[in-house]
Amino acid sequence: MLKYVLKKLAFAVFTVLLVMTLNFTLIHLAPGSPVDIIIGPDNQDPALRAALMETYGLDKPVIVQFFRYIGQLLHGNMGSSIVFHTPVAEMIGSKFAATFMLVFTAAVLALIIGAAMGITAGRKEGGFLDKVFSYTSYTFNAMPSFWLALMLIILFATTLRWLPSSGMVTPRAKFTGFRYTLDVLYHMVLPLLTLLLLRIPGYFRTTKSSVLQVNSEDYITTLRATGMSEKKIFRKYVLKNAILPVVTSFGMSMAFLIAGVSLIEIVFAWPGTGRVMLTAINQRDYPVLMGVYLIMSIMVALTMIVVDIVYAILDPRIRY
Amino acid sequence: MNRVKKILRTIRDDSQLMFGCIGICIMLLMIVLAPVITRWPGDYYGPDSLAAPGVNGHILGTNHMGQDVWSMVVYGIRTSLKVAVVSACISGLIGIVVGGVAGYFGGIVDRIVSEIINVFMMLPTLFLVLLVVSLFGNSIFHVMVVIGLTTWPSNAKLMRAQALSLRQRTFVISARTMGETKLQILFRYIIPNGIFPVISNTTMRMAGAILTEASLSFLGLGDPTVVSWGQMVYDGKAYMTQGWWVCVFAGLAIVLTVLVFYMMGDGINHVLNPKYAKGGKK
Repeated sequence: MLKYVLKKLAFAVFTVLLVMTLNFTLIHLAPGSPVDIIIGPDNQDPALRAALMETYGLDKPVIVQFFRYIGQLLHGNMGSSIVFHTPVAEMIGSKFAATFMLVFTAAVLALIIGAAMGITAGRKEGGFLDKVFSYTSYTFNAMPSFWLALMLIILFATTLRWLPSSGMVTPRAKFTGFRYTLDVLYHMVLPLLTLLLLRIPGYFRTTKSSVLQVNSEDYITTLRATGMSEKKIFRKYVLKNAILPVVTSFGMSMAFLIAGVSLIEIVFAWPGTGRVMLTAINQRDYPVLMGVYLIMSIMVALTMIVVDIVYAILDPRIRY
Repeated sequence: MNRVKKILRTIRDDSQLMFGCIGICIMLLMIVLAPVITRWPGDYYGPDSLAAPGVNGHILGTNHMGQDVWSMVVYGIRTSLKVAVVSACISGLIGIVVGGVAGYFGGIVDRIVSEIINVFMMLPTLFLVLLVVSLFGNSIFHVMVVIGLTTWPSNAKLMRAQALSLRQRTFVISARTMGETKLQILFRYIIPNGIFPVISNTTMRMAGAILTEASLSFLGLGDPTVVSWGQMVYDGKAYMTQGWWVCVFAGLAIVLTVLVFYMMGDGINHVLNPKYAKGGKK
């Protein structure tokens, strides 16, 4: 088991490194530089430019910059923003909590609801519930996330006025303690609902097809032939086997969520990493951009490892 | 003639495939007939700004610049279909070649390619697309190429699995004994026989490409020189309280188009996948 975990861990480190190299190369090869933003369009003094380039180490070859960055990271330092002069860790830290809260809640809730719907539909294929679930999930699957978010705002915020359309807390209210938590939850409803509506179809489909597949296996037919009750077969044998692919899709879904949430954060003005990333891209703020990507890829990699381990525990057939 | 009849019957028998085909035909017709079914070109700035649907002959209203929403929706089909087809083809071609080579050659090549595929499957590709488009420029060409270049791994995975099983088949082994070269076998036997799951996946990918392009446009990273639905939603967002119709109809166009491609992909899967073939299904 330990060997298996270590192998997975090594692969994750390798992946994160590869992603970082890819991003670093892309970011530094792209035209434009943060120095342009600092200088502004009116000042074309080459001496100032050269001095700034030197200050941020941008005059060195890309490969030197890369190893310098990795060295820095190994010391636990993500660098400072070139534009804002604040440490990257500080800039991302507080925002990351907001993103993580949203993503994690959405991922877990979507898994539970989607799996429950899939199991219900899979037990009675072609039934009324199956049809309703299938058609709705098909449609929601086809929706662009940002558009769905806007439609929910139109419906619940501007027309019905039930829920706030943006932000994470009521401005100027200065709630503390329990009131504050309630306020955040209240603001979280719409972004969360959007994410759920988008992610549930995926789990629904995986669960349903997995239930159907297990149901048609020979050993289930054998159990049926022995006269075991349908309920018992389902609870003891079908469910256990059918839930495995759903666990795998949780990891995949996490990767999509982390990427997709930035769009939704922007629509709802949720103070997460998505906005930090977009600003950093526009300002060519290399350290911030690298920091955001680093955190994201580590998060995806960690989820994948956890999923693999959970899978190995759940399925004794997996040899490691 | 018999062949055409057979194809038509297959399409008629699978409702998803039928809806998909009808949908695509309607879209193609709308592209061709665009000047006939719209009163204004998609990039025409008229005098009525934010006119409600139905006012002054604007079926779906106008946006804040006085552009007719219906015209933009119709002309937007061109952009969406172009992005869908070009990027999915790039992704399909790379996937087929990489997956085919990995699966057929096996050994060390396969191990390396599989690991690369795994890494790519783990990567949030939207970020990569975002990065490239925002840093290297946002022409529609870039968008299409980048989407193609980041979505091939799923195709490669499918093709690899096919190649792995096909290379054990008798006809491939006999071709090898006949002295055909590896490349000949790959391109004449493995790829043509194993391409079907890739085709249905590529159709699904077209839907994904449309969504990705819309997301980019919505972030203001789309090509400003073309009429794009994502862009319409982006522009309409600021005027949502005064004119809901800009956002709503542009988004509906995206949803419908994506649905058409989903149904097409599912339909193709049903028809080509032996698991769903007639008799086995019931």
